Amino acid sequence: VTGVKGADANVSRRAFLIRSGATLATGAASGIATAVATGVAIIPALLNGQQPLPGQVPPATMTGPMDDSALRPVRRDPKPGAVPVVTPERRDAMERGLKCQCACPLDVFTCRTTDFACPVSPAMHRDVNRLIEGGYTEEEIVAAFVETYGERALMAPRAVGFNRVGYIAPFAALGLAGAGVAILLRRWTMRTRAVAAENPVQIAQVDGTPDELARLEAAIRGGER
Amino acid sequence: VILIGELSLWVALLMAAWSVTTSFAGAVTGRKELVSSGERATYATFLMVILASIGLWTAIFTHDFSLRYVASFTSSNLPTAYLFSSFWGGQAGSLLFWALILTAFCSITVVTNRNTNRALMPWVTGVMGVVTLFFVATLCFASNPFERLDFIPADGRGMNPQLQNPGMAIHPPTLYLGLISTTIPFAFAIGALLTRRLDREWLVAVRRWSLFSWLFLSVGILLGMWWAYVELGWSGYWAWDPVENSSLLPWLTSTAFLHSVMIQEKRGMLRKWNVVLVASTFLLSILGTFITRSGVIESVHSFAQSPIGNWFMGFLIFSIATTAWLITLRLRDLEAPVHLESMVSREAAFLYNNVALVVMAFSVLWGTLFPILSEAVRGEKITVGAPFFLTVNIPLGLFLLFLTGVGPLIAWRRASVSNLKRQFAVPASAGVVAGLFVLALGMRDGYAVITYTLAGFVAGTIFQEFAKGTGARRKMYGEGAATALYRLIARNRRRYGGYIVHGGIVILFAAFAGMAFKTDHELNLDPGESATLVDPYGREWSFTNQGVSRFDQLNRQVEAITLELAMDGRPKGVLSSEKRQHVDRLGRPTFDPSTDVGILTESRQDVYLVFTGMVGEGAEVRISFNPLVVWVWIGGALLALGGLVVMWPQADRARAEGGYITVLKPGAEYAGAAK
Repeated sequence: VTGVKGADANVSRRAFLIRSGATLATGAASGIATAVATGVAIIPALLNGQQPLPGQVPPATMTGPMDDSALRPVRRDPKPGAVPVVTPERRDAMERGLKCQCACPLDVFTCRTTDFACPVSPAMHRDVNRLIEGGYTEEEIVAAFVETYGERALMAPRAVGFNRVGYIAPFAALGLAGAGVAILLRRWTMRTRAVAAENPVQIAQVDGTPDELARLEAAIRGGER
Repeated sequence: VILIGELSLWVALLMAAWSVTTSFAGAVTGRKELVSSGERATYATFLMVILASIGLWTAIFTHDFSLRYVASFTSSNLPTAYLFSSFWGGQAGSLLFWALILTAFCSITVVTNRNTNRALMPWVTGVMGVVTLFFVATLCFASNPFERLDFIPADGRGMNPQLQNPGMAIHPPTLYLGLISTTIPFAFAIGALLTRRLDREWLVAVRRWSLFSWLFLSVGILLGMWWAYVELGWSGYWAWDPVENSSLLPWLTSTAFLHSVMIQEKRGMLRKWNVVLVASTFLLSILGTFITRSGVIESVHSFAQSPIGNWFMGFLIFSIATTAWLITLRLRDLEAPVHLESMVSREAAFLYNNVALVVMAFSVLWGTLFPILSEAVRGEKITVGAPFFLTVNIPLGLFLLFLTGVGPLIAWRRASVSNLKRQFAVPASAGVVAGLFVLALGMRDGYAVITYTLAGFVAGTIFQEFAKGTGARRKMYGEGAATALYRLIARNRRRYGGYIVHGGIVILFAAFAGMAFKTDHELNLDPGESATLVDPYGREWSFTNQGVSRFDQLNRQVEAITLELAMDGRPKGVLSSEKRQHVDRLGRPTFDPSTDVGILTESRQDVYLVFTGMVGEGAEVRISFNPLVVWVWIGGALLALGGLVVMWPQADRARAEGGYITVLKPGAEYAGAAK
């Protein structure tokens, strides 16, 4: 590794965040001060849907401003004599079905192991761990998240109620399209047969050696462009 | 130069309006001078947009932060390559880039058709002008890249770190080339509907544009996958994100068109269907742009929410209504003179393929828009993510893969039982062998087993087609195997290029199925500490933390971890992943920290390292074993190569030399079938 800068090599996640936050806050403060000093109103620009300018940098996800206010505690009292019944592998799989609420499009597992800046997915992960330690099953944990956040806690809607329409529609479309095509093909082939019956055409059997037939086949197939 | 650029945009608006007016007026009145004036206005619009683009690039390279766009998406310490690509890194700039390519394509179309398709061209020029007018008007009134700030910041905000990647510099332009070029076939389709010239003329005119569009959509999508994989740190290349989906939609309908157009060319059938597919491809491109730019759907790729969504929505509604009205008006003219003769024929197989592709497009669109529908009906927000799309699209995809193998095996018009037996023997055997082989290896994932079985079947089909064709040439002309293969492809580019594309698709499916066996592991490693993991192939990997370092690099502060790897005791080198904090020229952070992943690529799998952060003395990392990922890029390259082979100009002389061409009188292609 090149370019090591000595003693400050290892920085904890918290320290890094605090330092980044402090720097961001300083930057924001100096930016606002600059804006005020120059007598410029920048709020309309921000309201206009444009990206913030230097000095105004809110925490952001890949999709836009991070909504850390979306975090809601998912707490349940531990079950009496609670024993964890969810393995770490099953926990990770379960977290892949839960959506991070910070406004990014990722699931909790992927977000917390990818997006360094997101405070929401680690917090949701802590809630999951707490529920596991409280003896709750996967189904109960998912239900607790849905109860707290609504269905947006899930990466895909459950196939119940109106959501069934979402799952059924593509296959219904395939069925309908298939049936439509089948009816159409049947009608077309019957019409073609009727026309052929009215205008019988005798097609002579081709007589030739196997080599001649092979050349004829190649010539015909070569024309299929 | 910047001022000239700004003014040029407004002149371009006038020129586009002039082009629309005179082209349509010329088409209606038949006055050649009006038609000519419309065409010259097309060139003038292109010239003006070039000037506007030069103006914006000048502003970017001279760091003119008085422009909101330059201040919002660049900074004085942004590397030069990314200064160049920042042109399309934001909303307004990318729209200008869109207009630049669109006007270039329109001008090329006018030039290349100056002596052909003269009856269609006034209408075609008019339709292209309408699309250009929309984009330039959006630029002028809703998202102007030359909008000025009331103050001049000392430095710009800089470019999003995730866009500072070579893939992101190439991916958007490539995708744009694909999306924008759908305009030309659409314009010809509308021109054909308006003039009632719905025979083969317009299809011949759009064939190369359709292929061009499909090829660039394919390459653009693949580059986007690569960018997501190496840059976003998800350890995946496709997340069924709404914007990813919106690029897939026109690709699906475009692919359907490239198959169904062959039926119209050979048999004169599916005329309505082809018009609908061409129009759908263009409309889905606009819909995708609307989704990306309106912020109506939450997406990783979205630009900031802005009012231009309303503009796009209006244009989309106008385009859909006009197209639907025109098609309805011309239904009788679009009636095919002949129909299918058998449900077991190549035509029918193409039709099934079209149904599968269009239903897949519908399911992707449905899943993308379902959250809006659900919220409207139930008042509750839901997320429709990868699990939904996989549930719905895997069966459809497998059905498509099956048809990819079936289509080339069935004869045109009508397949006999003996034809089917003879043709299916080798591919079906190859499929069975492939399926048994993966089962013997211990694979038990149902979808994966089916995928590899079908992949074997399709590979068998492709191999058989090449073997038969090459064998026939060797027998007929006494050529060597390599020469015979080369000439077979060179003289039947459309057909054998298509098979190369199919080969790419087979490899892609096989690679996609590999991700079913992906595993992720979280580790916390102190300096010098090792951990052992088992990959999906049962091999033991050890990872040793070599330490974390901090250094400055270009416009960022970097914190990097290095792991030493060994597999089954054999050294496999080192792998690094970085946390990057981008800063402005005063060293102040400009964005949240981003991740740069480490990837060790093997033919069997990628070892994918993400440095999540530090917890105390320990480094938190995620290590993923991603099977067969490199085959996605290989399959994609093969697909693009096949597309190029199909597109490559083929001189008539060369075809005549092949001895396989029959010149038919106009309309003769229908005569045989009608008897």
